[in-house]
Amino acid sequence: MKEKIKVLVAKPGLDGHERGARVLTLGLRGEGLDVVYTGLRRTPEEIVERAIKEEVDVIACSILSGAHKELLPRVVDLAKKKGLEKVLIMAGGNIPNEDIPFLEEKGIDVVFDQGSTIKEIANWIRENVKS
Amino acid sequence: MFSEEELKEIEKKRREWEEGTLKKTLQRFKAAESPNTYYSPLDVKEFDFLKDVGFPGDYPYTAGKYASQAPGAGPAVGGGHSLSGGGLVRAGRYSGYGTAADTAEYYSTMISYGRAPGLNLALDLPTQCGYDSDAPEARGEVGKTGVAIDTFRDWEILYEPFRGIAEIDKINSAWTINPESNTLVAMYVALAKKRGVPLDKLRCTPQNDNLKEYVSRGTQIWPVAHQMRLTRDTIVWAAKEMPHLHPVSVCGHHPREAGATRAQVLGFSLSSAIAYVQLGLDAGLDIDAIGPLMSFNDLSGTMEMLKEVAVLRAARRMWARIMKERFGAKDQRSLIYRDVGGCTMGHDNCVKQRPLNNVMRATIGGVAEALAGYIPSCYPPYDEALGLGHSMEAIQLEQDAARIIMYEARLCDVLDPLAGSYYVEYLTDKYEKEAFAIIDQIDKMGGMAAAVDSGWVSRELAKAAYEKQMAIENGETTIVGLNKFTGEHELDISINRVVPDPYDPEKRARAEEEQLANLAKVKKERDNEKVQASLKRLEEIARDESANTIPGLVECVEAYATIGEMSSIFTKVFGRYEEPEL
Repeated sequence: MKEKIKVLVAKPGLDGHERGARVLTLGLRGEGLDVVYTGLRRTPEEIVERAIKEEVDVIACSILSGAHKELLPRVVDLAKKKGLEKVLIMAGGNIPNEDIPFLEEKGIDVVFDQGSTIKEIANWIRENVKS
Repeated sequence: MFSEEELKEIEKKRREWEEGTLKKTLQRFKAAESPNTYYSPLDVKEFDFLKDVGFPGDYPYTAGKYASQAPGAGPAVGGGHSLSGGGLVRAGRYSGYGTAADTAEYYSTMISYGRAPGLNLALDLPTQCGYDSDAPEARGEVGKTGVAIDTFRDWEILYEPFRGIAEIDKINSAWTINPESNTLVAMYVALAKKRGVPLDKLRCTPQNDNLKEYVSRGTQIWPVAHQMRLTRDTIVWAAKEMPHLHPVSVCGHHPREAGATRAQVLGFSLSSAIAYVQLGLDAGLDIDAIGPLMSFNDLSGTMEMLKEVAVLRAARRMWARIMKERFGAKDQRSLIYRDVGGCTMGHDNCVKQRPLNNVMRATIGGVAEALAGYIPSCYPPYDEALGLGHSMEAIQLEQDAARIIMYEARLCDVLDPLAGSYYVEYLTDKYEKEAFAIIDQIDKMGGMAAAVDSGWVSRELAKAAYEKQMAIENGETTIVGLNKFTGEHELDISINRVVPDPYDPEKRARAEEEQLANLAKVKKERDNEKVQASLKRLEEIARDESANTIPGLVECVEAYATIGEMSSIFTKVFGRYEEPEL
């Protein structure tokens, strides 16, 4: 078993708002997690491939462009198709409250919206990653 | 301002006050130290009114870039409709969504409401990143953050409402686009040619501040050096062909929203501006041919209003000093920090929790702007954090707040009313000094392009953003209703977002499908041989570093080549930018 939980912070789609992803990357590292950041503008295919290559426990998608309803279910479906059932998929960014049930129904494990703290996110990850 | 003798006397009195009046008060309240500070002439010992402030519209422009702000203020009556901008005529409102026809319909409506014609165009991400609507990367993004432009056909439709009294030689166009700036300039040139409008009458501003894209906004496509060449092409084209084309609008806004401190926002954005000026000089242009072309967007901001007033004053003074002292500019128009202002509260201070509080926050931002010499803008509308687009009600509140600042509170009656305030002058000096230290550091790295390319600027921003987040989490920074003053008994307030949006959500939902059909139709109808020939010539031009890409792009645009096709030619020649690891 790996010593540290490993997280892939991902930016799906063409959205360039990177602050949240950067803060989360540095913040979760500060919490003792192993974190890889995809960088900007990744397709769901690239994200899932990277998740497989890095053997991550969590994929944390940050999106603020309004394309979350299109892109996030694709990440979930691809991850399932590639056998990543155990990998948790989280979402954050600018996601309207009314879209959260839709995303959860599509298999997103949790949505951390604005105002969430690094601590809350790190704790959720520690509690939910299946060892 | 004060003689040495006077300063000595003030210093003596200050000590007496600290040891007497202040100490007594603290003892009474059992406080170890005072929660407040107090400023005096001791904090601005070197202050020299004529050298440091001067009169509005005169060097060093601290008091204002123009002698009077009135010409932009517009009539205080009329324009009753919230979107007509009555009383607050500023740059066009940032707008655009769906297909070109959807956005054109929006503009027609605005023109019929009496809104001063002119546009500030929002583009969707595929267009900004050089993808056609039918590219796999564009799925789910077409028409979302702005209008989709694939070919010149879309551009023609978009500008259709701008005829007659709003003909393109009478309006001002701003386009929020960066790597693809030259493509849109080429489309405007093609449109002017088609309508018989002389190029020297076109007034337009592509954002084109690409250095900040790599570090804070994220629509970069090509490696930095190649991108800088494309920006050089815009600057040279403006200087030679289109005197009212502002080739870049330097945006401190984005680094700030990405986490920059006040000193960093000034240091990074002015270093970028220096790099763009240098491009023009290296291409053989005179400094006073480049200076008047330079323009600036806003610097975003924070809730600490007095500090933001100082940042805006420092920006004006620093740019004037850079242009005069560093570059030797002589023309007054070269020295002006030609900015639009606005958004001083910063989008990042707009929170989802208790969203109506954002009205107060934006109003404080508007007060800061009024005190710094701008027509106030209480942007963004309070529902900014709730998803894409703003409700009409939120926009009306935003605009009315600005009108109240201007016409009821009359905060715009006096220019630079905080000039001479010991505290504000101290802050203005402080930010100028700190920002010049960052500019020096960047100069030593070889300039802003090198500092960006090395990943240094991105890392600095990531660190600053992380520190801001930590300050919120440990309670050092207060955000009412988010990390403080919260509890179990949160009121359940329903926000009225059903007020008809200026953008029809149904149209936005079907935009992708429609745009795919529009694009397919253009591809079918155009002369494909002509397209291929124009793309081939564009490739030859791209390979010749000394050539200007804009005429080649005009030819492609006129043949109805797509943005993706033109962009792919540059990618073939330049390669793609690789983001450094964080």
